[in-house]
Amino acid sequence: MGMLFGKPKVSRITDHDRAVLQMKQQRDTLKRYQQRVEKLLESERELAKRLLSENKREHLLVSLSMFVLTNNYDVNHYSKAKLLLRKKKYQTEQLERTEASLDTIEKLIQDLEYTQIEAKVIEGLKVGNVALKKANELFNIEHIEQLLDETKEGIDKQREITDLLSGALSSEDEEAVEAELNELITIEHQKAMDKLPTVPSDELPVTVPETKEKDNLPTKKIALEAQ
Amino acid sequence: MADIQWPWQYSFPPFFTIQPNVETRRKQLDAWRTLVLDYCRTQKVSVIDVREGDLLPVFNNTAISRKLSPEAIMTVLGVLQKTGNAEPLDKTRTRWNIYWHTLDEWASIVYKWAQDNAMLNTVCTFYEIASDSGDLNGIDDAVLTKALKVLERRQQAEILTLEGGSGVKFFS
Repeated sequence: MGMLFGKPKVSRITDHDRAVLQMKQQRDTLKRYQQRVEKLLESERELAKRLLSENKREHLLVSLSMFVLTNNYDVNHYSKAKLLLRKKKYQTEQLERTEASLDTIEKLIQDLEYTQIEAKVIEGLKVGNVALKKANELFNIEHIEQLLDETKEGIDKQREITDLLSGALSSEDEEAVEAELNELITIEHQKAMDKLPTVPSDELPVTVPETKEKDNLPTKKIALEAQ
Repeated sequence: MADIQWPWQYSFPPFFTIQPNVETRRKQLDAWRTLVLDYCRTQKVSVIDVREGDLLPVFNNTAISRKLSPEAIMTVLGVLQKTGNAEPLDKTRTRWNIYWHTLDEWASIVYKWAQDNAMLNTVCTFYEIASDSGDLNGIDDAVLTKALKVLERRQQAEILTLEGGSGVKFFS
């Protein structure tokens, strides 16, 4: 939307970014400086080389023509080459120094960028933590118990339906069946009883006292022996 | 600087005069378009000044002593403009920016660079981008800025300016 109407959207650049950029700019300046010195070194080395080779040529000429004045020129070339080499030495040292500061600055940049990454990691952890808490809230015990109860109810109901559908009997039916079976059994029993000969109603000959005496005798005996 | 591979047309004198015949002209301008873009890409020429056109070997073949007139250069640049490969920098249309990649392409290339170098969500300087060894090496600051503006519109980057120069932050 913001880009449609050209409204300035909220900048996503933080002060941290600015700091990093500034460091990086310093680094670039150093790098460029390095390049410059390297180029200078190269060209001056070339120059020194050329001076020396020219010097040789001049020298040759001198020895050929025996022209004394060129001798002066000769020395000039030498000292110039020497000066250039001295300059080169200095610049090499400078280059080393640059290298060292470049190293420092690059380390610092790395640290800065790393802190940013760390901050992101912590942020990520925070988000994860919040999400976990939320998820845990969802899982409170009461809720789960209720859920389980409901599930159980559901399962019971389902079982009932299955039983009905598959023709199995409910417990009430079962009772009815049981009752009917019992009834049948009693009837059968009755019938069987009916078929049995009637129990004679005559009294049996009285033999009971006899057995009583017999039973009592040994006990008496035992008692006597103990006396 | 790499040696330039000139097409055969470059040594063909009539190539340096805009042809009147419509069909021929279309082919000619097409060849010019390719030639200029190739030339600019290999030589990393991002700005062409029409008045100084004959300083560029592409418009001035000294071997056959033929050069493209400023008007003709203007015509060629006009063709480039139509495809998004050139853009006049002033009202008189004398200075032109040449984009051997269109700005949209540049934007994608820069963004891909940022992705490949894990530069997303961090800032980097223009110098950093331009010192890349690939396609982006030596990219013109103005062209880069324009490409980044495209990315800004795509919400993939944001340019930030400090006194020491500009930088850009890429977003994922």
